[in-house]
Amino acid sequence: MAIQTILVINKSGGLVYQRDFIKTGAKLSSNEYLILAGTLQGVVAIASQVTPKALQISAKTGSKTANEPSQLIPYVGSLGAPAQNLSDMGSFMGQDFFNESFPSWNQSGLKHVTTDQLSMFLYQTLTGLKFVAISTQSTTNAMAVSIAENLLRKAYCLYADYVMKNPFHDPEMPIKCELFDTHLAELVGQL
Amino acid sequence: MSANSASISASSAGPKKSLKTFGDDIWKNKTAKINAELFTLTYGSIVSQLCTDFERDFKKVNSQLYAMGYNIGVRLIEDFLARTALPRCDSLAQTSEVISKCAFKIFLNVTPQVGNWSNNKDAFSLFLDENPLSDFVELPMDAAKELWYSNILCGVLRGALEMVQMDCDVWFVNDVLRGGQSTEMRVKLNRIMKDEIPAGED
Repeated sequence: MAIQTILVINKSGGLVYQRDFIKTGAKLSSNEYLILAGTLQGVVAIASQVTPKALQISAKTGSKTANEPSQLIPYVGSLGAPAQNLSDMGSFMGQDFFNESFPSWNQSGLKHVTTDQLSMFLYQTLTGLKFVAISTQSTTNAMAVSIAENLLRKAYCLYADYVMKNPFHDPEMPIKCELFDTHLAELVGQL
Repeated sequence: MSANSASISASSAGPKKSLKTFGDDIWKNKTAKINAELFTLTYGSIVSQLCTDFERDFKKVNSQLYAMGYNIGVRLIEDFLARTALPRCDSLAQTSEVISKCAFKIFLNVTPQVGNWSNNKDAFSLFLDENPLSDFVELPMDAAKELWYSNILCGVLRGALEMVQMDCDVWFVNDVLRGGQSTEMRVKLNRIMKDEIPAGED
């Protein structure tokens, strides 16, 4: 799976970060990316409305009575080559950033879009932040989806370290942090 | 209550794990640590500098500490969520457990006692048996009546909870530094900001 682009969208739907990892191929202008971010924000909200009421209710009552491990995203071990240098992990220690399956915060919103040319994956946090990965491979494989979710959660860990802990970064504003750039590139490079 | 929240957390924090072991594990194995004395002394020098800067107007010092904490909290919540990936809490009871057993554990390596629930379950207290911020501290006479030495914690909690759409008031009720029996922080939930919960969560 080759990651073409990673986007970060803030909770009000503004694009705060965009980075291409594959230099070739058609590129969107920065304005088009802004439109894409706003559109995604809207589509996620619409998708969550589209979920049939009956499903929502059964899911709710179901989770109250029985624990639903099916909603957990499986942990995918260190993607590609393991991180050689632990100092690259920022404040997240251990072999990998995390080592357990984890629940998804985005249960009825849009998570995954596939066309013949590409796939797009969304990871939404509890604070409303969205991480988007665009892959050059078209896939509907469940494994690919969970790999992408793992990747994006790691991107979130990097964001927590190198963006939120940078005292000169203003929340909700575009991200201009070189450390975040380099570490994200490393993470994507390991794939 | 504790049994209830343990069963809920078991579903979130992986199989057969209580919130407590979950928090312990993250603190022990996955979090970078610094020297506790360095931390205590740094905080101490900040507070004493603020007292000088505000000419010992301790009300202003309290609110400045609170504001600093707020700015930390709105950022720190992302670290907490990235680290734990805990799901949204169903009840304030569960929130209180997460705050004491995960958040305080991971960031300060203490586990405050939760107690003193209000009748309608919208407010609770956190009792800090040990407070790493105030390890070597003795308040001077003039500060002992007005200064809430660890007020930064209130700001952190307030900021962090606000980012997960819970509008809370947080304040100190009691502090051993001021001669109290215990160090008690009060958390009161005003409302859950339903409009701001991101779309997609059910």
